[in-house]
Formats: sequence, C-alpha cells, structure tokens
Amino acid sequence: VKNERNPKAKERDTKRKLEIHKTTEQKTENKKRKRSHSKQRGKRNIDDEDKGGEQISKQKKNRKNKKTKKLLTEEAEGEGYITKQKKKRRPQVDEENANATKQMTPEGPPKKKKRAKVQVESSSESEDSSSEKESSEEEEWKVTALTPEELEKLKEAVDEKKKLITILRGKPWPMLKKLQTLKESHDFLEKFEGALGKGKAKKLYAYKVMMLKALMGKPYGSMPRKTVPRAEQASAMDFAVLWDFGVREASASFLQNPHLNPNGLFCQLKSWNQSFLLKGYAKYSVLFYGYYNSQRAIGWLKFRMPLSYFLVGVGTVAYSYMVVIRTMARNANEQGGGDDTNFNFSWKMFTSWDYLIGNPETADNKFASITTSFKEAIVEEQESRKDDNIHLTRFFRVLANFLVLCCLAGSGYLIYFVVRRSQKFALEGLENYGWWERNEVNMVMSLLGMFCPMLFDVISNLENYHPRIALQWQLGRIFALFLGNLYTFIIALMDEINLKEEETVKLNMTVWMANLHNGTLAENSTAPPITADPADVPRGPCWETMVGQEFVRLIISDTMTTYITLLIGDFLRAVMVRFFNYCWCWDLEYGFPSYSEFDVSGNVLGLIFNQGMIWMGAFYAPCLPALNVLRLHVSMYLQCWAVMCCNVPQERVFKASGSNNFYMAMLLVILFLSTLPAIYTIVSIPPSFDCGPFSGKNRMFDVIQETLEMDFPAWFGKVFSYASNPGLVLPFLLLMVLAIYYLQSTSKTYKKANAELKKKLQAVSSEAISLYCPDCFNIVFKGERGQNQHVTTCTRQSAAVKRQCGPADLHNPSTRPPPAQRNPATHGYLPGNPHQPSLRMQRTSSLKLQ
Amino acid sequence: MVSPAIALAFLPLLITLLIRYRYYFVLLYRAVLVRWVQDLLTGLSREERAFQYILTHSIPGDPQSILDTFDHWCSKVEFISNIGPKKGKILDRLLEEIRPLTVLELGTHCGYSTVRIARSLPLGARLYSIEMHEKNAQIAEKIIRLAGFDDDTVELVVSPSDEVIPRLREDYGVEHLDFVFMDHWKRCYLPDLQLLEGSGLLGEGSVVLADNVVFPGAPNFLRYVRNSGLYELRLHRASLEYIRGIRDGMAELVHRGVK
Repeated sequence: VKNERNPKAKERDTKRKLEIHKTTEQKTENKKRKRSHSKQRGKRNIDDEDKGGEQISKQKKNRKNKKTKKLLTEEAEGEGYITKQKKKRRPQVDEENANATKQMTPEGPPKKKKRAKVQVESSSESEDSSSEKESSEEEEWKVTALTPEELEKLKEAVDEKKKLITILRGKPWPMLKKLQTLKESHDFLEKFEGALGKGKAKKLYAYKVMMLKALMGKPYGSMPRKTVPRAEQASAMDFAVLWDFGVREASASFLQNPHLNPNGLFCQLKSWNQSFLLKGYAKYSVLFYGYYNSQRAIGWLKFRMPLSYFLVGVGTVAYSYMVVIRTMARNANEQGGGDDTNFNFSWKMFTSWDYLIGNPETADNKFASITTSFKEAIVEEQESRKDDNIHLTRFFRVLANFLVLCCLAGSGYLIYFVVRRSQKFALEGLENYGWWERNEVNMVMSLLGMFCPMLFDVISNLENYHPRIALQWQLGRIFALFLGNLYTFIIALMDEINLKEEETVKLNMTVWMANLHNGTLAENSTAPPITADPADVPRGPCWETMVGQEFVRLIISDTMTTYITLLIGDFLRAVMVRFFNYCWCWDLEYGFPSYSEFDVSGNVLGLIFNQGMIWMGAFYAPCLPALNVLRLHVSMYLQCWAVMCCNVPQERVFKASGSNNFYMAMLLVILFLSTLPAIYTIVSIPPSFDCGPFSGKNRMFDVIQETLEMDFPAWFGKVFSYASNPGLVLPFLLLMVLAIYYLQSTSKTYKKANAELKKKLQAVSSEAISLYCPDCFNIVFKGERGQNQHVTTCTRQSAAVKRQCGPADLHNPSTRPPPAQRNPATHGYLPGNPHQPSLRMQRTSSLKLQ
Repeated sequence: MVSPAIALAFLPLLITLLIRYRYYFVLLYRAVLVRWVQDLLTGLSREERAFQYILTHSIPGDPQSILDTFDHWCSKVEFISNIGPKKGKILDRLLEEIRPLTVLELGTHCGYSTVRIARSLPLGARLYSIEMHEKNAQIAEKIIRLAGFDDDTVELVVSPSDEVIPRLREDYGVEHLDFVFMDHWKRCYLPDLQLLEGSGLLGEGSVVLADNVVFPGAPNFLRYVRNSGLYELRLHRASLEYIRGIRDGMAELVHRGVK
C-alpha cells in the first residue's frame, strides 16, 4: 500500500532488499534478477504484489505461499507486459487464484477488505511460516459470514491472540517483529471482540466483558503510575444501626433463656427497665463479660470458670508481649549492624527494576520513577553537602510540628467537647435525641481519624525530610492521634461508668425497697429481720459489659467505615475515573481525581491500631478477638479486590512487613499503652458486685487466692505466700535488672566486633578486586562513597603501599577526606559533583519513554 | 440535624483539600475569575489586553523582547495558556536539533509560540500557523508582524484545523512536514494527527510536538500514539506554564517512517 506512493520502482527494489525477514529464496532470486538483467520483471512482480495486496489481499497470500518458484516461471514473460500491467492485473490475479493450491475460502465482497487487514497482511508477509498460518486463519474469519461454528473458531482465535500477547515477551524474536505481532494482535482483538459482542446471542458476553471491566478494571500491576489500601480509618456508620435491624431478632433467643445467667440478671432487668432491653439483645450475649457467672466450678469436670477467665485474659496479654519482643529480637539479629546509607547509588542502579512489570505504561512510569529517584538521590546528596539554608528548613520543621500539635490539640478538644455533650445527653436520657446526637462521639472520632492523617501528610511536605524519615514522622503523628483519640474515649467511658452506675443503682434500690415493703406488708408479720442476699439486690448493668459493648461498637463502626470508604472513596472513584475519562476535558487518570493510592504504611498502622483496640477490649468482651478475626478476613478479601480493581501503587514504596522493627516497635508501644488501662482496671477497680465471673469479690485477682486456698494443699498456699513476699520479690527483681544490664553490655561488645569484622572483610575483598582487575574495580566502585574513593587512589600506587593504606583507611571512616575535594575529571561519576549529575540527568531524561 | 461537632470534624479535610490543590485554585482564580472581572471592567477581550500591554512595553522587531513581555504579562498580570518560557526552551532545543524547513502549528492563539518557533527557524523555512478563532488570529497576526516576521516566513491560516489539514497539499503546496506543533483543543489532537497521517504529510523523521498532554491532558492521543507503533514517543515532563505546582508534559513524537 505504502509503496505505491513512491512511483519509482528502483526505490521499491531497495526497500525490498532492506526487508529484514527475507527468505533465502528471495535473496537468491534477487541476485538472479540482477545477474540476468531481468530487473524489470522482478519489479513488475513486486509492484503487482503490492497492488494485489492492496486490493485483493488473498491472491497475494496465495502467491506468497507459492513463493519464488512461481515468480521465476513468470519471468519468462515479455517486457512489454509492464506497460499494460494495470489493465492486465485483474485477469492475471484471477489466474493466480486458480493456481492456488489450498485456499478454499471464497473471495469476500470488496467492502470487507479494510485497510487494517491489508496492513496486517503486508506485515505478516515478512513473518515466518507459523505466523503465516495464523494470518491465513485471520483471513478466513474476515471473509466468511459468522455461523455458529465459525463463531466458536473465532472465539478460539481471539483466545489464541490473547495468549500470544501474554507470551510474546518470552519469544526469541527481534524486537521489531514483536512489536508488529503485538500490534496485529491488538488490532485483531479490538476488531473481533467487538464483533463478538454485537450479535444478539452475544449480548451476554458483551455484558460480561463490561462488568468485568467495571468491577475488575485493569489488574493492579498494569495500572499506570504508582503502589498501596486506604488506611482502615473510620467514618460514619454505627453499631446502633446494626442493632436497630437484624441483630435484635437474631439474638432474641438469648433473652428467652433466663437461666443463662443464674443470678437472674436478665429477668430482673426485664422487669424494671424494658426500654433498656429494647436497645438490643446482643448486648448480653456470650460476647460480653456479663454473660459469664461467678459459679466456681462447672460440671463434673469442675471447670473453674472465673479462674480460667482471669488467667486467659492476663495470659493473652503476656503472650502478646512475648511474641512481639521475640519477633523484634529476631529481626534485630538478622539485620545486623550495617549502615543502610552505604552503596546508595549501587543499590539504586542494580536493584531498582521490577521484573514483574508486564505493561508498557507501567514500565514507562517505573522508568520515570527510577530516573526521578536518581535525581532525588543526587539532589539529596548535594543538599547534604550544602546546608546553606538550614535555618529556613529548621524553621519550617518547627512550624510543621507546631501545626501538627495544634491539629492534635484541636482534635483532642473536639472529642472532649463531644464527650461532655454526650454525658449531658445521657443525663437527660438518650431517647429524646436523634441518631446524630446518639452517635456523635463515634462519628467525630472516625472522621478525625480519617481526615487528620491527610492533613498531616500535607503539612509534612513543608518539612523537606528524606521520604523515609518523613514517613516515620507521619506514622508517629498518626499514632499519636489515634492514641489520643482512644485515650480520650476511654476516659469518657470511665466517666460514663460512674454516671450511669449511680443512676441505676439509685433506681434499683428504690425498686427493690418497694418490693420488699410490699412483701412484708402482705405477710403481715411483726418485723422479722429482713435478711436478703446481697446478690439479690438488683444493681443494674455492670460497667464491664458496658466497656466491652463500647469496644465492639467501636470495632464495628470502624469496619463499617472502612468498607464505606472503600466503596465510595476507592471503588466509585475508580469507576468514575475509568468511565468518565473517555469524555472529560482533562485526563482523569493522571490528573486530578486519579485512582486512589494504596497506602501500605497507613494500612499497617490501621492494623496495629486495630490490634491495640482488641487488646484493650478483649478482657471485657472475650469474643472480641474472634469477631476481629472474622472482620479481618472479610476485609482482607474485600481489600484484595479493591486493590486490584481500583488502587494504584503508591508513589513512594516502603517496605512494611513483620521484619521491619519500626512497625514492631510501634506495635509494642501500643500493646503497652492498650494493656495499661485494662490492667489498671483489673487491679484497682472493684468488679461489679452482681455481674460477671468475679462478682462478689473485692478485686479480680482474688480468684487466684481463692483457688490457692480451696484447690491446692495448704503447704502450697504457704509457699506461694512466702514467694510473694516483697522481701523476696524485690531482690529477685534487682537481680534480673542486673542480669539484663550485663547481657546488654556483652551484646554491645559483640556487635562492635561484628561491625569491625565486616569492615575488614569489605576492605579485603575490594583490595582483591583491585589487585586482579583494576578496571573492574574502577567500574564497580567508582562513584561510591568516600571509602572506596580512597581505595581507588590507592590502586594507583604500588601494591605494597596499597596493602598498607587501603585497609588502614577503611578502618576509620572518620578520616575520610571530604568528598568535595574530589576531582571530577579523574573519578568519573560523583554524586556530589554539581556538573556531572546534570549531564547524567539530561541523558536519562532524553531516553526514549516507550 | 447534624451537630456542629460533626461539621467541625470535616475541617481538617477542608484544610487538606485547600492546601493540596492550592495551585489549582490559583489557576482557577487567575484564569477564570481575573479574566472575567477584567472583561467586565475593560470591555476588551483578554487577548486584546495582552496585545495592548505588549505594544506599550516591548521593542518592535525584537522577538525576544516580545516573548519576555508576554511572559511577564502572563505571570504577573493575567493568565494566558501559552507554552511558557520553560517548555519553550524544550521547543527551542528541538528546533535547533531538527532545523525543520516546513513547520505546521496548530493553535496560534496569541502568536506567542509562533514567534518562538519562527525565531529559531533556519533561513528559508516556512511556518504555517492555523487558528480557528477570527479575533485571536487578528491579534496573533499583529504580534507576529510586530516581531518582524513577514508572510514568507509565517503564514497564518484562519480556519478550523480539521478543514485545513486535508487541503494543505493542494492549497498551500506542502509536500512534507518536518515539524508539527500542537497546542489547540486537546480533544482535537488525535483526529488531527490521524488526518495528518491520512494526508501523507508526515514522513520518516517528522516530529510532532504536542503540548499539555498531562494537564489538561490528552489521554486518547497518548494511548493511540503508544499503540500505533508509528512513532517514537518521548515525554518531556515539566510544569504548567506560569504556575509552578501543576505537572504537565509535552509529547514528542518522532515518525519512524513507513516500512
């Protein structure tokens, strides 16, 4: 087609010669032509072939199949043919068609022969036999009408093309051919996937494809740009809603069984506060503290319920501590005492590329991001050497911290304010207020938890930290926010405990007294002393259950808001971006709304925070961990889908895994801070008198003493009391502290020795390289930091001197000369040099982005 | 009734949005609000005001001075989305490398980029500049003549680009385009490129430079170029003209030639 534009046959001939995939026959044919002065014939052939390709491509194909033999036989024809060829072409082509050996498909109507097809064929001409077969198949599809069998075949062909696209990367073909094949396949798919969708019966298929596009979108890896899910921050729904609907009916059966609680709590509650019960029956389910009773031993196995409750509650916390500490210790062992900032550029150079990238656009962006990271590293290196406007930077950092503090204080005050209001509401009775007022605390907490991190992120741009450090600051701030919110929440809860308890106790007492009074009147006896078991006095709902309920509420509202943000913030946004992008005035995918980023660190923080809540609430709501496991599994699958469908990778990717001690340290801190209130309540607040496994005891840990007295022999109790004597415990603690100090100092020494050894090893290996292969040495180590630089200078001296000076300098890096003194002309690419990076940058930026 | 506390909780979000998209707000203010107010106050169009300013502040016949004045007006006084000085440098460099003889510019607007291109053209080169808008074209003509380029160098065509391109060969005798600069409607990038391909004006080595492919963005255009295989694509990343914080880019397409 395109050759027709050039009128001269000679040009065509040269182009022909330049074809890459020339078969050997063609080559010999060319030679023959030249030799035997039958150039004109050859030209005619090619010319004819081209035009035939344009108009009736099948004939060309046939001829292609027959290849050179036929061409040679045709050469016998006269020269005058050329002048008449235009008129003659059609009959000649027909004749060739008759000669065709195996093409059986009838010639289609000319309108079906579109340009794209011709292109496909002309390019496939130069391919090898296997792809030729494919293209002949294509032809069949195009020419024939769509009968059911052919549709099947077409589907197969489409699948085959898809497969071809996926495996194309691994084929041992030259790049040009790969590109051509890829283009062909894309054209084919574009054309025939649409055709498949057009037919009436194929509507379903089209629908399926559309839904697939909408729901699954592009796979995560192929999405242009960046990496990680929106943090699991809460926003708007509430557990109360859940209670208002299904949960009440589902758990009504609990209520029908009064002996679930032998103390008859339910019955009494039902009798004197119907409205309270109507708020939701799940409140007194197996989920919470109040469900369990204080019966000392259950069943013939004599299962000690209160004891096991206590031990499990405390043991879980202890076990959590152990696991976290052990993981941290293992990580610390594995990491060793290496300096991460060494070989910065080498790492970037050799390990930046992600070999899993399977999409040209992603590769494009990865390339760009590597380039930028190089630029950033270079700029950073320069900055670290300059430090001229350090005061401005410092000012900005202080300012940023001030702003963040203001923000934290503001959010704290807002929560405090809301809590005060909620107390007011509680005093006046929640029934008088609407949904918004009742759920104000949760709403405000969720909203703050969602929006404040965004604000912190924006503020942290001001600080101009290294991204890694900036991330740590950011996480620290979010952590402070979450923790502040949680603690405010706890304090509010404590206040509420006192408030409600007083109220209910007062109410209960009056009710009880009235009952008692009635009873005595009816019996008409003369003042028998009223001996009532204290347990029979109705005390109202116990605070432990209420705390547990609040935590379950928190978890559920957290989950709800996670899902809602996922659906609205990620999914709807992605769908909108994906579909409106076709008809919008700017690029939605790259520009303003874009896809949301999957924020790894934020998610990890969300998980940590979530874990903290579980630790805090697990003692008062024993089924909370199970609930949490359920929730985590569901949200894992949901988020997995969301990430693949509507998130893009984050711009800056940082490793966030169990092997990162930063996150583990955070977990440890939150573990400590979350077990603190739990332990405090266990130790210092007396348990509710009439509720839970510890009812009737002064403190919760009295269970242990009770067990010691009643289930163990007397001497054991005596030994235990001796062992718990402060006189014995204190020296033991002292000994432990001393042992810790000793072990720590020894480990420090070992660490130091290790680092020394490492340095020595490094020095020796670099020396060996420089001895045997100075050029390799230059290539590998040039441009690294000071120490290697120093060794390079050493290689220029004699071997003996080298042995002395190389390692000696490596031992104490503090003696390195300042890198600014380096001479750029002799030492190649230096990060600190202002001239060279610019050169490099120009080159990288001008590289092809394809 | 939503309580004030809940409304207050949205404050961080509001501040975040304000800070994060401040450049877009600035752009909105400068490109829309200021223009609107000035239109009402002066009764002139934005382009006419720009021309008046340039007429009074620059040296006639000196392209550099005109460009500088333009830049000053666009960055300090009002906003017109010219190619701007930074991206203009990329354009200059490309022109230096290519030394094109026949240049097509789609979207003259006020003639800033026309002056910029014409300034670095080699001797005997010819620039066809296409502008759809009659009034803009008049102003562009004045500015181009002010900069000292005559009809032989710069030919201004007042017509929609999709009408002009098919007629380029017949009416203007253009056989081959060395350089095409696109800065008109972003939606027209793709159809115009296809028109250029169809009319056979692009050959091996022809360079097409498309401005604003990232913001406001021409996704379909980029997608087509990536998939067509006809071009070598190179994205020059820069920021939007006269506003620092908005990322933008220019796409440089080098025609691989027909094989």
